[in-house]
Amino acid sequence: MAAINLTKMDQEIVQKIIDHGGKGITKCIQCNACASVCPVAKAGFPLYGRLLFRKIQTGHFEEIIEDSSSWACQACNRCTEICPRDAKPFEMVFAFRRIQANELAISTSAFTPLMNLHATGHAVYSEASKELRKKVGLPEVPVTSIANEKAQEEIRTLLDNSPMAELGIF
Amino acid sequence: MEKCGIYLGCNIPFKAPDIEQSFYKVFPALGVEIVDMEGATCCPAWGTAPSFDVDTWLAVSGRNITIAEAKDVDIMTGCNSCFGVMSEAKHMIDHDAERKKTFEKNLALIDRKYTGNSEVYHVSHVLYEKVGMERIREKLKYTLKQLKIAVQPGCHILWPSDVMAVKEKNTFFPTILKELCEVLGAEVPHYTKLNACCGMGAMRSTDAARSIGLVKEKLINIKEETDPDMIVTTCSSCYMQFDAAQKLLREKGEIDFEIPVFYYTQLLALCMGFDPKNVAAISETPRDAIIEKIQSEARLSN
Repeated sequence: MAAINLTKMDQEIVQKIIDHGGKGITKCIQCNACASVCPVAKAGFPLYGRLLFRKIQTGHFEEIIEDSSSWACQACNRCTEICPRDAKPFEMVFAFRRIQANELAISTSAFTPLMNLHATGHAVYSEASKELRKKVGLPEVPVTSIANEKAQEEIRTLLDNSPMAELGIF
Repeated sequence: MEKCGIYLGCNIPFKAPDIEQSFYKVFPALGVEIVDMEGATCCPAWGTAPSFDVDTWLAVSGRNITIAEAKDVDIMTGCNSCFGVMSEAKHMIDHDAERKKTFEKNLALIDRKYTGNSEVYHVSHVLYEKVGMERIREKLKYTLKQLKIAVQPGCHILWPSDVMAVKEKNTFFPTILKELCEVLGAEVPHYTKLNACCGMGAMRSTDAARSIGLVKEKLINIKEETDPDMIVTTCSSCYMQFDAAQKLLREKGEIDFEIPVFYYTQLLALCMGFDPKNVAAISETPRDAIIEKIQSEARLSN
């Protein structure tokens, strides 16, 4: 593996990762501790932690932008717990995912939860839940936003005024 | 009586409401008043706002926290992911002045203010720290003596430990859920893949086959090393994965066993004598036989 000169990283891409919450990108020294505990690596996805960071650090950004491995990240934070450089690898994966998301390089399965969130305040919702709830002796709807028009308006206000609104998902 | 704001999230009220019902049964009986958080929304789940924009994530999470603050209670989540999402959001809001400024501006759009006075706990933290083993032991009607449990603590309750309200002594060798099961009388042996991910969540929606591969490996390890009477978790996602994946794997002939799965408060409710029709009525992997065994005369603790 070629040595990475940290001063010669693709500054534009590095800054983009930092701007999206991955400020530890310049701390990563490719030690591979993160991948050793990563479920995404364990499950066999091609672009897990260390490798993803290497591609970013060395400027191979365009070739990975469509890769779906980052969307399998469980946000479990095992990597962040053990990273010896305190680079917070989880934050870097999510920063990359945010850049992908803003280019709509996301799985189609992500759209329904997003539309649900905007419409009801819940990412997961199913009408069938009413029967299940009755069956166990609960009211048909919980006291969450699903039964609360004001709460739904509040969540729509937050989402409609966010950068997410510009993507045209809702 | 201690009070806690119950944060339901999405999976529990809409997919597994018997878990929700178990909260309403066990906590008041253990001396914890449950306070409803009217109008709470999704945490928001990792695959939604946190995957797009940090400030939108903080606004939605923070809005939920303000609901608890207005009632002067801490938050108690039943879902590990909700716990992780909101714990990290709160940590960021409380420790990053720049983010906090934007966060406050966003909350002003909906006339809400954040005080930072409510802490985020998980159900198992409340049981372990606030209720305590003694109070749990006093309320048990049935004992789990001579029954064996494989525990699944789940990821989002463990890491990153610097944002957790209650920490394990060693996050890669967690003991809180083990102790909570042992107080019911059960044996809780260690198994090699205790900390391994169940594959639920983002991985499940990105690549179902790889996700099921992880849970299959974990199930086989559990079976081979402990051969338990049940799997017990405090994560609603792990619960759904272990429960549904077994059916799938059996149908495909990839496993030849069935291990009943419980969310911890369901099992606790059964041990306290509550009706399984309310607290443990929905599952893909059959639980009737073990429930009957648990609530049998032979297991009465007195």
